[in-house]
This record gives sequence, structure tokens and C-alpha cells, in this order.
Amino acid sequence: MIKFKNVNKIYKIDKEVVFQALKNINFEIKKGEFVSIIGPSGSGKSTLMHLIGLLDTPTKGEILIEGKNIKNLNDNELSSLRNEFVGFVFQQFNLIAKLTVLENILLPTIYSRKKLDFDPRKKALELIKKFGLSGKENSYPNKISGGQQQRVAIMRALIMQPKLILADEPTGNLDSKTGIEIMNLLKKLNKEEKITIIVVTHEADIASYGKRLIKIKDGEIVDN
Amino acid sequence: MNYFIFIVKAAIEDFKKNKTQTFLTSLGILIGVFSVVILTALGLGLKKYIDDQFAQLGKNSLFIAPGKLISGGSFNAASTFQSIKFDNRDLTKIRKIKGVIEIAPIFSKQVVAKSFKKTEDTTIIFSSEAFFSINGFNIKNGRFFNKSDIDKKSKVVVIGPKIAEKLFGQADLALDQKITASNVNFKIIGVLESKGGGGFGGPDYDNYIFSPYTSGYIFNPQKNFSRIALKFDDINFSVGEIKELIKKEMLKRYDEDSFSIIEPGDILQAVNSIFSVLNMVLVAIASISLLVGGIGIMNIMFVTVTEKTKEIGIRRAIGARKNDILYQFIIESTILSVLGGAMGLGLAFLTTLILQKFFPAYIDVNSVLLALGVSSAIGIFFGVFPAKKASDLSPIEAIRYE
Repeated sequence: MIKFKNVNKIYKIDKEVVFQALKNINFEIKKGEFVSIIGPSGSGKSTLMHLIGLLDTPTKGEILIEGKNIKNLNDNELSSLRNEFVGFVFQQFNLIAKLTVLENILLPTIYSRKKLDFDPRKKALELIKKFGLSGKENSYPNKISGGQQQRVAIMRALIMQPKLILADEPTGNLDSKTGIEIMNLLKKLNKEEKITIIVVTHEADIASYGKRLIKIKDGEIVDN
Repeated sequence: MNYFIFIVKAAIEDFKKNKTQTFLTSLGILIGVFSVVILTALGLGLKKYIDDQFAQLGKNSLFIAPGKLISGGSFNAASTFQSIKFDNRDLTKIRKIKGVIEIAPIFSKQVVAKSFKKTEDTTIIFSSEAFFSINGFNIKNGRFFNKSDIDKKSKVVVIGPKIAEKLFGQADLALDQKITASNVNFKIIGVLESKGGGGFGGPDYDNYIFSPYTSGYIFNPQKNFSRIALKFDDINFSVGEIKELIKKEMLKRYDEDSFSIIEPGDILQAVNSIFSVLNMVLVAIASISLLVGGIGIMNIMFVTVTEKTKEIGIRRAIGARKNDILYQFIIESTILSVLGGAMGLGLAFLTTLILQKFFPAYIDVNSVLLALGVSSAIGIFFGVFPAKKASDLSPIEAIRYE
């Protein structure tokens, strides 16, 4: 489903100084996998995540998403892929403060250009019920707990029925009990709904939820 | 549809959070729209007032005045100084011209009028009975003076309602009373209906007194007239033909530059041309404040883009395209601008309602459309640059922004 071939990412800091964040990255992730990408801070795992999430493009090498080389896609096509193919879950939750829980969950659907085969509002309300946030539909993010916010973020990631959920330190801002709940939720989604999950983290016990571990250090994969 | 509701709702939530900033940003547009609409309203009101004044004169009237008062559609003020005077000979000749129905010689005198209770400064217009029909006067009490009053040089007057009220306390009490003007006694035989007007350089007829021209010869031993007004048969003659006939007659005695034959429409056109130029200049000056308001909006929108960098990143991450971000910010600046425009328009409406008590101002549909059109155009135009900046942000840098 996702294939990295000799991917390099080089940042120019100024005219002469460059920083190579990723060196010759090769891996493949298949449909239905639960992969943890683990590495210390500064290892390049965030850069890797941004590349998988189509927020950035490689300096060298190829990224294939379902066989399509993203190099050949324009900004609109990349936006559509982010909209339909990936669902993001961030450490900071990244909900939009002025929109309600329901509106935050619906936000990806308003940016969709394809005809949806479901009723967005109905689906969002179903998700809210399923995730135990009934009654909070019209609350604003600052009125609910961190764990609830992260659930809303997961619902927002799920509304477009993506093939992949990409979670960047999803438990980083949560207490350990809530963190475990969120990780179990992701595990359940992978098991019951066959959604591919990639979790990027620096914590070994969070990474242990994955069925497969990719270790990254100094921009290179050290263990796969 | 949902798309726009979402964007508009988000924008309004932002405005609610920053009410003061939103109001101050819209203030520039508010002031701009307010001044443009008010000035247009005053200009339109003035034009309507002038039109109404001349409409009372009727299409079939003409004036003969000394000098070249109007040349090439505008006033020629210098000409009135080197003026000639008309007399009875002119009157007789013009009366004989075919197509002339009624004729009124006119001269006036500033007088001090005394009633049994009060003294007032006023103007007496001496003319014939035709003056009333040419100018569209109506009588309220009593009667106009007539031909036999003129033949008999009767010391009678018809009085305007305002001066009647000033002299007798109540206009209705003036009929059949005596007044003294420059030590000559006159009897009031009629009180006019109010004609309105005055205050814009036009004659304030409600404050005037009217008397047979023959009776006025006491004050005017040379028997000169400063103007001649006439009514013509507009069924069988065109204005052009009548003017030509009168001109031919007048040229026998005077040279071409020393008199004018004026249609009410000529004056109207000249007055309107002056006021429309004046109004255009004022509106142009007011438009500068709209421009300044637009720049204010642009400035705030640039700040907003920076403040919302993270939000832009989030929206891009979940699939918003560059254009989605572009529209979001253009809609936001347009709402700001239209908000200011609507408030300015509302304020202009209220001000016009108050102004109407003193001045014939009115707002027409065009100025409303113009105000809203211009303010949304400003919102879009000045919103494009900040919105472009927002949509060009790289998603990765935007989402990392703290």
C-alpha cells in the first residue's frame, strides 16, 4: 500500500549547510498492518511521518501510494489523497477551537471533491455515539477533556473512511490511563475494521501495541 | 452549500471572539460608505428640489432677461452687471407676437412693510395677473389681482403666507387688512397658498408680496422692467419658433448680447451641471476613505493569516486545497467589508431621516447597491493578497507553526 524506495530528505539550513534528515529509506507497508515507528527525538521520524502523510515530498527517491508515484501528483491531487486516503491523529489533537465537536468531525467532508456514499452528519453522530461522546456534539474542544479531544481527532480521521490512520505521538499529551485507552481504540480499529495504522512514537510501551516495529536512528532505519 | 456555511460560520465565530478588532477594522469602510451615501443623498435631494421648483413653471413658459445670463449651458455671472431694462414698448410688441398667450412684466422693490401690529423687511414683486398662472401660484384666501386692478392702478396686494403670518400673527387674519410699504398704503386682497422653497438661492415666494405693476410705478418712475415672463401656445408653436419670433422682435431694438430668452429647462440644466460637478468632486473625496478602509482590512487580514497559520496547516492536513484556503480568507475579508458597508448604510439611513427635516436629502436604490457593491469589491480586492499568502503556505510549515 505504501512503498518507500531510496527516500532521502535533505533540508537546506542556509547556503552551505545542509541537514540530511532521512538517508536511503526503504520499506513497504501492507494493507491491514499496525506499524510502530520508533526513534529518539531528532531521529527523523517526524520527517518520515510527514512524508507518509503526504504533507511533504522527498528530496530524492520515490514514494508509492497504492502504486502511484506521488512525484507525479499536483497540489490538488495530494490534497485529495490527504483527504480520502489518510486520517491524521496528532499529539496536540489539532482540533479547530471555534468549531464544535460535530463540526470538527465533519470538517474533512466539506473539503471532499468526490461524491460521498454516506450521509456525513449521520455518520458523525454514529461515531460520536460509538466513541462515547454523546451529548458533547455541540461542545467546543476547550470544554472537553484531553482524552475526549483525542477521540474527536480520531473520529475526524475516520469520517472519510480512510485506508490509513497516521498517528504522531497520539498519547504524548495524555495521562497514561487515557493513553492506554486511545491505543486500545487504535488497536480495535485495526483489528475490527482492517484499517492500516501507523503510530510514530519515542516510547517503547506505546510502540509495543504495533504488530511490526520500524526503528529509526539518525535518519536511517536500524531495525525493521 | 455546506462548504460556505462552514466557512462563514467559522469567520463569524472569529469575529465574535474579537469584537473590538472586527468593529475597528470595519470602521474604515463604515465611514467611507457613510460619507459616499450621504453625499450622494444630498446631491440627489438637491437635484430633486431644483427639478421640483422648475416643474412648477410649466413647459410653455419663457423669460426674457437682460444680458447673456446663460451661455453654453452654464451661468455667465458677469453679464448681469451690464444690463439693460425693458419697458412698455417691449411689452406691447411682444404681446402682439403670434403664439404669445400671456405676458407678465416684472420688477421688484425691497420695502419695509408695516401692519397695524408689526414691521418686516420684505420684497414686493410688481407684475401682471399673468404672473400667477405662469409661476403656478394658488390662492388660499381672497383673490388674485386682475386686469381691472392693473388698469385702475389699484393699491392692492396679494401676500405670501409666511410674511402674512409674520405681519399679522396668523396668515388667515391678513385678508382685507391694510399694510404700508415705503409709506404707500395697500389693501390685502388675497393670501397665497404656500409654495415652499427658498434657502437655495431660489426666490422664497412665501415671504414676498405681489402687486399690480402699474401700482408700482410710484416707486419706478422710469417704468422699467427687469424681466418679462410669458406663456405661449405650445400646441401650435414649438419653443424654438416662439424664441425665434421674440428674438427677431427684440433685435430691432437691442443688440444680441444684451438680452436672453430663457426656458426654465435651460436654467435647470445649468444649475444641475454645477451641482453634479460639485457632487462628483465630493463623492470622489469621500471615496478616498473607502480606499483607506480597504487598506486597513488588508493589513488586519495579513495579521490574521499569521495568527491562523496553525489552523491553515490543520485544514491542509485533512485535505483542504490551496483554493479552499484562498476562499476562506477572501470570504472573511468580504464579510468584514460588507459588515462595515452595511453599518455605514444603516447610519446613513438614520442620518438622512434626520437631515430630511432641514434639507431635501434622499437615498435611492442605486446608492444602496453601489455602497454594498463597492464594499464587497473592496473586501475581495484587498482580501486577495493576504488570502494568497495563506494559501501558498506550505502545509508542513503551517502545521509545525506554534
